[in-house]
Amino acid sequence: MATISSAFDLIASALDADQSALSIVANNVANANTAGYTREVPNWQENAPIEIDGVSYGTGVTQTGPTSVRDAVLEERLTQQQQLASASSARLTALNALQAVFPPDSGSSSSTAGDIGSDLTGFFDSFSSLEANPTDNALRQQVLSTASTLAGDISNAAANLNSQRSALDQEASSVTGQVNSLINSIAQLNQQIQSTSANSDAGTLEDQRNQDISQLSQLVGINQITTDVNGLSLTTTSGQLLVSGESSQQLTSGVVNGATHFYLGEVDITSQLEIGGGQLGGDLTARDQDIPNALASLDQLAYSVATTVNAQNNAGTDLDGNEGTGTNANGVAGTGSTPLYIFTEPAQITGSALAMSVVMTDPNQIAAASFGNQNGDASNAVLMANLASQMTVQGQTPSNYYAQFVSQLGSTVSEVQNENTAQNASVTQLQTQISSTSSVNLNDEAASLQQFERSYQAASEVFTVLNTVMASALNLGVQTAVS
Amino acid sequence: MRVDPFYVTNLAASLDQTQSTEQQLTAELSSGAAINSLSDNPVAAGENALLLNQIQRDDSFTQSSGLVQGQLQVADSAMGGVVTQLTQAISIATGANNGTLNTSQLQSISNQLAGIRDEVVSLANTSYQGQYIFGGSQTSAMPFTISSSTTPSTATYNGDQVVNYLETPNGQRIQLNLPGTQIFPTSGSDSALQALNNLIADYANGASVQTSTSDTEALNTALNFISQQRVTLDNSLTRLTAASNAATSEKTQLTAAQTNLMQADLPQISTQLSLCESQQTALEDVIAQLGSGSLFDKLS
Repeated sequence: MATISSAFDLIASALDADQSALSIVANNVANANTAGYTREVPNWQENAPIEIDGVSYGTGVTQTGPTSVRDAVLEERLTQQQQLASASSARLTALNALQAVFPPDSGSSSSTAGDIGSDLTGFFDSFSSLEANPTDNALRQQVLSTASTLAGDISNAAANLNSQRSALDQEASSVTGQVNSLINSIAQLNQQIQSTSANSDAGTLEDQRNQDISQLSQLVGINQITTDVNGLSLTTTSGQLLVSGESSQQLTSGVVNGATHFYLGEVDITSQLEIGGGQLGGDLTARDQDIPNALASLDQLAYSVATTVNAQNNAGTDLDGNEGTGTNANGVAGTGSTPLYIFTEPAQITGSALAMSVVMTDPNQIAAASFGNQNGDASNAVLMANLASQMTVQGQTPSNYYAQFVSQLGSTVSEVQNENTAQNASVTQLQTQISSTSSVNLNDEAASLQQFERSYQAASEVFTVLNTVMASALNLGVQTAVS
Repeated sequence: MRVDPFYVTNLAASLDQTQSTEQQLTAELSSGAAINSLSDNPVAAGENALLLNQIQRDDSFTQSSGLVQGQLQVADSAMGGVVTQLTQAISIATGANNGTLNTSQLQSISNQLAGIRDEVVSLANTSYQGQYIFGGSQTSAMPFTISSSTTPSTATYNGDQVVNYLETPNGQRIQLNLPGTQIFPTSGSDSALQALNNLIADYANGASVQTSTSDTEALNTALNFISQQRVTLDNSLTRLTAASNAATSEKTQLTAAQTNLMQADLPQISTQLSLCESQQTALEDVIAQLGSGSLFDKLS
């Protein structure tokens, strides 16, 4: 038969359990707004019954400690999605800055300023105007002035792209420190988790580790592999080991050909990081693909315009009767000793945009006339104006090439924008799912508080009754001796 | 089922989104342009660049054609003057060829014709804005000179045969000048100057009526030739006017298309803005309602 004292033990353990449950609720409420905190629930365990004279009696309850309510699969999916969203977000920021260099020209005079498309047309049109009167100094000045505007705007755009590239490079290299600090922190947490909770959820420590992983995934693309004893290995998305248990490998950076490269040990993993995701992936994609592509297009445009215009001007006769040094379409070579170049003649395509400038200072040197003709001839000006409609830039006219370039750039930005919107929506959805599982809901906590309080009150009542019963037993019915 | 306790935060994110849309719509309203960055409509941005290119070319051509119209008109007017002078010369010569005039009268006719010839040469040396218009590409040197060292006098052309063209935006070439010798050959059956010089010599030296009649016929042939050449310039003027009008009309159409492509649709934007405002107000109300109160308020 169970004794009164065993009932005391039983109810005392219930009071203990309720108190600790109330403490868990209090901790949840306290951390309701802590980033990365996973709500905890008390873990009730029925004590093993005892058997007396063949009859089994319960021995109460024990609260074995809080359990964090988490869904590891959802958390890993969030990490994966976050690295994609961070990459597209960083790339989108860079692309928005890139497309701002080429604002669409609405046609008004203010929006035309700096527009390379309008500059191109204005430049070739100035030769058309020169056809009307090849000896007119004002029309000749206009050719040089529109050439300067074109060269200046292309060169400015290229300089702007280069500085954007440097800024991205700087931003990318500054990520290294944050990545290393997170990697170290994860390795340390791995060690603590393995020593304290090798086979169970490590609660707060695991929250911290997840929070670090979440932050890391926003910086670089990572894969995570859970090991036994509750450990975790992290690799980059292309498989280079970052963290294995309590050991970690530091990301280092160094400058190669003016651009920051990233290393794990001796291995250059820049290209892997570029496609891996995270902010670093996005920054590197913009730095190594988007901006260089735009620059290459500008270079191509600048190179083709400068070389074809120079060649045509050099195949004519200027106002002073000097012939260029080139050969015209009929195979006739000029008798001049100095080339008649309008633009600085580029030696190679790369760098042509940045270096584009007008070398001609005397408008008389514009060779409107053909070889052998006098200065009243405008046939070479006609040929120069015709360059506007000739397929001189990679099989396209200069204006078409530029139109296609802006259209392609706009499409890329729009594409990344859509990608980013979809990824952010997916991140929000996953975060909502995780929050609904793991975040502290104050209404829930209020209900639990109420429940455990009631439970504690009930146990107290039982204790009071048992106390009365015990007093009665000790006094053998005499109520005044022991109360 | 548990719900996301941070749903109010998500609602605030929706509020941010609404405000960002409002900002974009306001930017479109203030700039009047529907496309403020390339990614707003990449295809339209590309098309816009091409439309503006064409509009600019049309505009530039209209201005250029204005410049050359003046030159063509001066050339035409000069040729008109030549025709008048030559007609007068033929009339004088025809009158002189009746065989009734004495040597002194014939010398006077010769002098009159010399005056007409000098006038014709002066017209052939017409300049426009300081440039000789009948010298081919040699616009800075006087194209025609007369040498009296021989009898009859001889005309010399100092220009060349270069013809200038103005190209229209669609690639048509419009002839802008006639090289001097195409109108005033210095010798040959179509040469007005040679015929005039011959007549001047005929009357001065008392040549036979037959010779002077033959030379008068030659002058008549030369006059017809000049009238024919004048048609070339008139054609150029007509074509230039037509091309200029076509460019102006094309520019108007293209500008309309470009405006249509780029201009913000104000009624539509206003409607969208109004919708956004309603949505924002609704969201704010919802957040205000949901944000207050929890079960803790009821605990005592």
